[in-house]
Amino acid sequence: MRKRLGVIAMAAAVAGLIGASSSALMSAQGRGGGSAPKVDLSGPVPKLPDGTVDLGGTWTGGGPVQDMEAQGKFKPGEIPLLPWAKKVLDSRTPEQDPHAFCMPMGVPRQAGNYPWRFVQYPTHKQATHIFLLWEANIHSFRQIFMGSTHPANPDPTWFGHSVGAWEGGTLVIDTVGFNDKFWFDRRGHPHTEQLHTIERWTRKDFGHLDNQVTIDDPGAYSRPFTTTYTATLQPGDEIMEYICNENNNYGIAGGFRQ
Amino acid sequence: MKRTFGVLVVVVVLLVSGARVVAHHAFSADYDENKLVTLKGTVTKIEWTNPHARFFVDAVGEDKTVTNWSLELASPNSLTREGWARGTLNVGDVVTVTGYAAKSAKNMASTRSVTMADGRALFGGTQGIQ
Repeated sequence: MRKRLGVIAMAAAVAGLIGASSSALMSAQGRGGGSAPKVDLSGPVPKLPDGTVDLGGTWTGGGPVQDMEAQGKFKPGEIPLLPWAKKVLDSRTPEQDPHAFCMPMGVPRQAGNYPWRFVQYPTHKQATHIFLLWEANIHSFRQIFMGSTHPANPDPTWFGHSVGAWEGGTLVIDTVGFNDKFWFDRRGHPHTEQLHTIERWTRKDFGHLDNQVTIDDPGAYSRPFTTTYTATLQPGDEIMEYICNENNNYGIAGGFRQ
Repeated sequence: MKRTFGVLVVVVVLLVSGARVVAHHAFSADYDENKLVTLKGTVTKIEWTNPHARFFVDAVGEDKTVTNWSLELASPNSLTREGWARGTLNVGDVVTVTGYAAKSAKNMASTRSVTMADGRALFGGTQGIQ
């Protein structure tokens, strides 16, 4: 480990010397057709004409990736899994992760390392819809019905049925009607169709967006639990197309899929 | 020492390109991060597809036999953000490749670096880098 740190320190020094000459390697594609603009990520929160927070921009992060426990800053064992759910978590292996077979990651995991956007519609008056556009994995979208209510018996879906409202500068998204097929993280935290999530999205400054998410699933967890993930703005980046199932070879190298 | 230099090259390329490595599905189910292989040969085919781009190389062994290897890269989007373009790698290019060997399939690896004939080294997008 120490040797590797030494290598990385050396690399940083070298990188500083040759950084300028490598800018030619940077592709404009996926970066809005130009090089990344100089942007103050700690600048003020932008607003729409009517004073509503503008959630625009290309974001990454905002949800768990590898491990909801570690990334949510929970102590080991703090997440209140019911015994059957703990058994499921412990038995899951990467070969079974639906996301690796191009299925959606659901909420809150979909807001991860792939770029994504909020689209507020309309913006000249109070929004009726907010869409989340995901680059991957999968290339899809989620819709938030603003100022609306849940149907009595929603069909279970990968992203659920979401309604939203503003509480001051925080967008509160309430979602029910999930199926039980996605995993909360690569580790395999499970859930049931009783899952109810509450996300509170607050743009703290120009470049940072907090997602305080409460997971409330009495079918798998003995009580609701809450943590915050932070998304970071990627100035100059654009969502690119990503059709996951065009040539997915996951499992061929590992021998668990033909 | 050679391996350290390889890591240095890769880390430099990463730092210089300012890229973020876009995490993907479980590397360890498919590839062995303790089995780093090095190949040299000619590119025979490129699949610029999701979720992983892939290229094939006729690698020349020490005994002069030629074996066709299947080499996985990151997604085209990740590669683009890290400085690749569609024309960066071409059929007929002579390259040196390092990567982590597949756990089961033969002649298959997850690419760590591709060094072109002109000496340029590019990160292949493997998640196996530690």
